[in-house]
This record gives sequence, structure tokens and C-alpha cells, in this order.
Amino acid sequence: MSIIIKNLRKAYGDQIIFDDFSLILEKNKITGILGPSGSGKTTLLNLCSGLDQPDGGTIEGINLSSISYIFQEPRLLPWRTIRENLRFVFKDQAVKRNGAHDQEIDAMLKLVGLETVGDYYPQELSGGMRQRVAIARAFLYPSELLLMDEPFSSLDLALKNKLMGDFLNIWEKDKRTVIFVSHNQDEINRLSHEILTFSDKPVRILRRETI
Amino acid sequence: MISTKLGNKQIKTLKIIGKKIGVALFWLLLWAMAAWWVDSSLVLPSPIDTLKGIATLAGDAEFFVSIGVTLLRVFGGVFISVALGIFLGLIGGLNAPFYEFMNPFVSIIKSLPVVSVIILINLWIASGIVPLVVTFLICFPVTWTNVVQGVHATDEKLLQMAKVYNVAKMRIVKDIYIPSVKPYAVSALMNAIGLGWKVTVTAEVLANALPSVGMNLYYSKIYLDTDLLFSWTFVIVMCSYIIEKVTLFMIERNKRKGADQCQLS
Repeated sequence: MSIIIKNLRKAYGDQIIFDDFSLILEKNKITGILGPSGSGKTTLLNLCSGLDQPDGGTIEGINLSSISYIFQEPRLLPWRTIRENLRFVFKDQAVKRNGAHDQEIDAMLKLVGLETVGDYYPQELSGGMRQRVAIARAFLYPSELLLMDEPFSSLDLALKNKLMGDFLNIWEKDKRTVIFVSHNQDEINRLSHEILTFSDKPVRILRRETI
Repeated sequence: MISTKLGNKQIKTLKIIGKKIGVALFWLLLWAMAAWWVDSSLVLPSPIDTLKGIATLAGDAEFFVSIGVTLLRVFGGVFISVALGIFLGLIGGLNAPFYEFMNPFVSIIKSLPVVSVIILINLWIASGIVPLVVTFLICFPVTWTNVVQGVHATDEKLLQMAKVYNVAKMRIVKDIYIPSVKPYAVSALMNAIGLGWKVTVTAEVLANALPSVGMNLYYSKIYLDTDLLFSWTFVIVMCSYIIEKVTLFMIERNKRKGADQCQLS
């Protein structure tokens, strides 16, 4: 089943972000959304994740307890080690399934090349490594939908290329529905199967292309 | 040469200690000169008279009993107020109706003059317990307010992350709210210790609580024994200083690396 957004309405005060906005997103594909800063890309992700509520319209096909989100910044608990950070989001889910959460955490850390820093605190890692932890957390969490809000925007070019490669490698092994927003055309082109270009507020789809 | 035997860090530490001793000696000298100028130990005893007074007090077992009982009152009052302040402050920070319910009570206690509280409480309960209850009533609002502030200052972005990943509420409290509140609770504890001493000794005097440091101070005053009044005051200052330093040392020792980083940010 696809994600179906129907007649979405959202405003902050006088600023109308979405007005009668509709969209259908394919499952198990990476949909890239391009658009100018402040055009409502992050608002769409927050509405899809339940962090924000629409003023009208519906979003169907999303299970709110099955969402991963890679934010612009890693959002790691500074007082917990990297392994504890992953355990923080994963433990309840893993216990429900089989309880073997530590092995899965170690395997994921290995996959993102961070197997040696599991006992480090976030402050002891570089920005790129922290963002890799955020990617690991998103894939470790058993979700159907992965939301990504410009997760590579604060990184230098070399690191960005490395992380995007890591991301695609992991996604190939675990194909989830991904909504990836960015204002960077190159990032969107490299990762997405389908690209949507948003207008300024209120949001309209200016262009829709399949890669 | 000293510099060849000691490292730069040790020289720096020695300089800091030397500076502190120098400052202390300056004030002691000023006190001694003022006492010599006044020339009456009844009005202003000299540092030597004060030290002699402490030596006299230390020879009596009652001195240690008084200090022990006062310490128990300070610790009891501070411990109960900080423990309850943290617990109720966490609930108040997380639950708006509970905050609205508690806030008038806390605001009223905060605005009450300490002396009124002591006299009122003394009407209702035994003298020996009055200092403990008063210490609680004075220190609890400080902790409560700090902890509520800490909860409200918790990083919204971390809470959003936990919400998206469907983390259980109890784990959010344990792993996000409590570490966020920790620096606020530590600051409240240090304030409570400082306040606790002053309030406890004041309450001991006004409530005639025995045995106590406060009542010994009072007796020194009514018997015009100014040497002992100074000696007891010196003992209170030293006890307060030592407890503050020991508490700080214990907090530093128990701090985890990550919590350090958090407090720095």
C-alpha cells in the first residue's frame, strides 16, 4: 500500500504551508523532495511522523509506531555512549521480538564502520561519525518508513559522498520506503528513485520525475 | 632551583595555594589589628582568643554532641527537601495540572519570612524537630523551582526523537529528563546546603532546640562570652565549608564523562 496524502492543509498563523495538497508516494522506494528553504519540506516530514498535526486532510498508509527519522542533526543523547544511544531506541522493539538486541546493535555498528567506537560518547566523535550513528539508529529501528531531513547538509563533500554511499549500501540490504528532503540537487539525484520539486509556500508540486 | 624539580602544573597549584594563604593571612591580620585597636575581648576578641575558645570547647564532649546533632538536622532537612524537591519537581515539570496544584504552596512558602516560619512551626511541634522542618520548608522550594526549570529546559529535539522512535515514557524520563535535570539538581543541592546551615542554626536559637550549635551561640551571647561566640561561629563556618567541599568532591567523582559534556554545553 502506498502513502496517500489527501487535501492536506497546514498553516502557522498567517503562513499557509499546505492548502489542499495531495500526493501519492510509492512504497519501498526513495522519494526525493527538492525545494527552497522554508518551503514546507520539513513540515511534510513532521506531519508524516506525527510530530505535527495537519489542520485538515488526511495522510494514509503510515503506521506511526513504525517510523525512523534521520534529522538534520544527529540528536544523540550526550550522556549515553553510542551503543547506549542505539539501545535507547531499539531495546523495547528488540525485546518484543527476540531480546537479542546487543548482537544486532554490534552488527549495525559494523555495517556503518563504527564498531570500534561503541563505548564512546557522542562528543568524542566527529560530526560525520555522529551522523552515521543516526543512520545506524534509523536502520536498526524496525520501521516501514524512513524520513530524512537534509541529513548530509552540514557535512563536507568527501564525507557527504562517503555517507551517501554507506546509506545506499544499507538501503540495498533493507529496502524501506524513504522520504528524503533536501535543497541540494546532487544529493537528491544520487539517492532518489523519484524526485518531486516543491514550489514556495503554499506548496505545489512543480515537477515530478522518475529516475 | 624549585622550577627544575617541579612541573609547570605543580608550580601553578603552589602559586594558587600561596595566593589563598596570603589573602587569608591579610584578613586575619586585619582582624587582629582591629581587636588590638578595640582592646576589649568582650566587643571583639582576637583570632588567638577565638582559637583558645575553640580549644576549650573541644575539650568538652558536649561540643561534639552539639555539632553532631546540628549536623543531623542540617543533613536531615537538606536530604528530605532535595529528595522530595527532585521527585515532585520532576512530576511538576512533566504534569501541568500538578504544577498548578503545587505552585501556590511553593510560592507562599518562598515568600514567608524565615522567622515567621520558625515561630509558627514551634507552636505546633517539638523544639528539637523545628530546625529540621524549617530547613525543609526553606530548601524545598529552591530544589522544586530548579528541577521544574530543568525539566522545562530539556532539549525538545531529543524528546521529538524519542517520540518518533516510540520510546516508552519511563525510559524517556530515565534517559532524557533525569540527565537533563541533573545539573539543576546539583545546583539546588549546593544552594540547599548553604541555606540549610544558616536556617538550621537560626531555627535552633529561636526554637530553643537542645542540644545544638545554635543554643550554644545563644548562651555565649547571654553570658557575654564573646570569645566563645566567635569560636562557635568559626566552627559553623568551617563545618559549612567542609561539607560543601566534600559534597562537591563527591559530585565530581560520580560525574560521568557524558554528563560532564552535557553540563558544559
